[in-house]
Amino acid sequence: MRDFPATFHDGRTAAAHPVTVRATPAGLRILGEDGLMRAFWTTADLRADGQLPGKGGVRLRCLADPDARLILPDGEFIRTVAPFITATPRERLGGWKAAAAAIAAVGLLAAAALGLPAASRHLARLVPPSLEARWGAALTEGMEQRWGVCQAPAGDAALALLTARLAAPLAPELRPRRVVVVRQAMINALALPGGTVLLFQGLLDDALGPDEVAGVLAHEFTHIAERHVTAATIRGLGLGALVTLVTGDASGALAGGATALLAGAYSRDDEEAADRGAVRLLDAASVSTAGMAAFFRRIGEREARGGALPAWLSTHPDPEARAAAVTRAGPERAVSPALPAEQWAALRAICGKANPGGPGTLRH
Amino acid sequence: MDQLAPPADGRVFEQHGATGAMARLAARNFVLNVLTLSFYRFWGKTRVRRFLWENTTAWGEPLEYTGTGKELFIGFLVVLMVVLLPLIVVMAAIQTAAATFPPAALLGVPVYLLVLFLIGAGLYRAHRYRMSRTVWRGIRGGLEGSAAVYGLTFVLVALASVVTLGWAGPWGEMKLARYRLANTTFGARRFQCDAAAGPVYNRFAVVWLVGFAAFMAMPLVAVMGEDATSLVPLLSAVVIVIVPLAIAIPLAAYRAAVYRQLAAGTRFGGLRFAADVRTWPLIRLVVGNWLITALSLGVLRPVAALRTFRFAAAAITAQGTLDAADLAQGTAARPRTGEGLIAVLDGAGDF
Repeated sequence: MRDFPATFHDGRTAAAHPVTVRATPAGLRILGEDGLMRAFWTTADLRADGQLPGKGGVRLRCLADPDARLILPDGEFIRTVAPFITATPRERLGGWKAAAAAIAAVGLLAAAALGLPAASRHLARLVPPSLEARWGAALTEGMEQRWGVCQAPAGDAALALLTARLAAPLAPELRPRRVVVVRQAMINALALPGGTVLLFQGLLDDALGPDEVAGVLAHEFTHIAERHVTAATIRGLGLGALVTLVTGDASGALAGGATALLAGAYSRDDEEAADRGAVRLLDAASVSTAGMAAFFRRIGEREARGGALPAWLSTHPDPEARAAAVTRAGPERAVSPALPAEQWAALRAICGKANPGGPGTLRH
Repeated sequence: MDQLAPPADGRVFEQHGATGAMARLAARNFVLNVLTLSFYRFWGKTRVRRFLWENTTAWGEPLEYTGTGKELFIGFLVVLMVVLLPLIVVMAAIQTAAATFPPAALLGVPVYLLVLFLIGAGLYRAHRYRMSRTVWRGIRGGLEGSAAVYGLTFVLVALASVVTLGWAGPWGEMKLARYRLANTTFGARRFQCDAAAGPVYNRFAVVWLVGFAAFMAMPLVAVMGEDATSLVPLLSAVVIVIVPLAIAIPLAAYRAAVYRQLAAGTRFGGLRFAADVRTWPLIRLVVGNWLITALSLGVLRPVAALRTFRFAAAAITAQGTLDAADLAQGTAARPRTGEGLIAVLDGAGDF
């Protein structure tokens, strides 16, 4: 049993009370200058904050009185109180706990990243078609006004024929609502939310036959049937949230770059799914997939030659691999051209004279 | 009675933290951040703050930091879900609409103002969280006032600055600082602040005029560079070295005056404050912190924060007395989670 001087803050005011501390095995008696006991801190409740800077002594606290503090000179603390006392438990993730937390965090993120495409596909199905249609209509109108729509009675009939042939296996609500040719020289086609497919004039000019156009249309029809655009939008939102969770920064360039990179990887998955769906649609319509493969190969050769990269490719997988994936092994089943020669000519002429500036017409 | 008077030189604060210890802590945090895909950062930031606070003494007795990493983490998650995701959805919707109907892009203006408001309110909430987790002699700090009012003022000040080509800036900054300081409490007592912007305007005028001259000179320099090729190296030297220096020196002199003016207008009980902030030491601090952060790719940012704390502790002096026995514990409710808003919207609140 020892008495020593200390400083006491009672937690009610900032005053520093000079006190005498009497250490007993049961706890610390804190006595005021008048000799009356100000507090009794039981040993079980005592916590030490560790060494204070600048030789300021050691600070103790008591669980039963969380705002009060007792400051002891170093030497006295080590001799008298230290043996009985617990260090203030710091919030720390040490050893196994930290490792477990790290593994859990990485696992959760990996699961989220892997589960994101499936989750967004399911969520996309919950988006009301009317909302999707309105959103798509706004996009479609803008593009059609900017580029202009090609219309000709014979061409329209040919396009309707081809569309009906390819979309037949799809459930009525999953079929494209409109297929439109726009006056644009890019070799491209777009599937928009709400079920509109835009076929670019450049692609019609570039195609060597109706089977190539059928392949591209079947690919876009699959995008529509599987609601890829809506799913990609939902996925983008989720991805942004995940990347922000890791980088902690919604504004940084790092987050934007990582998001774009991951979004690209996911979008290639969608493209592969659309290619598989296209093969199914072509098979069902008894159209050869050779045209689609030839189209991919031609795009791949152009890319290798360092020519202008068609917009169609930017977020798409390697064309050679795609051509290989859609090529049938072994002899093809009985097939017929996607459109009879007469209708094919009508479709190509839908925009009037073939566009002389189109990239496709330069080569053949 | 327990009267606290500052020492003869007026320096009531001291910073005892060693650079080496902080650098080790920063390196440790970096490793753990990498291992946990950066999820550790909330706990790491808490450890850095505890180091900064506990090595800061007032009247010889250290501050305590009682915040936890868990609070910061939860605050961050809440903001991510409640503020950020809806904001992204709205932005995406506006962009989509603007793709077909360009005037729809105008809808982005209120959203931009909303983000500005959220940054202001977030800064205030972050300050509230830090103050509520600051303890000295068992007494807690706090921040009263409204984050919404502060955020709104923040937006108005930003708009006024744009409209007046910057001239409303010093007025606005002082207004915001007064609101912040006059609502800061320690125990049951508030700080008082009546710092006015008037006295800093002469220094601001120099900054503005130099900046304006540099802005006007830019096209001139570009035109001259095209003609006389022999002048090009000289002109690039002017642009790269002299222009930033010409702006940095008056800017530092102005910032130093702002800090002095703020401290001089602040009182707490019977204490009056002053801040001995000079131009060159301020430039050394800011440039040094910038170099430390940039050269270590951000890893040593806590060391920069330690330098700032040291600078402030050395600069701030007090006069008068404070009756510690009269400084009672406050009763205001403390926020339960920490500063997510500002942690998401920008990098502020780094230490």
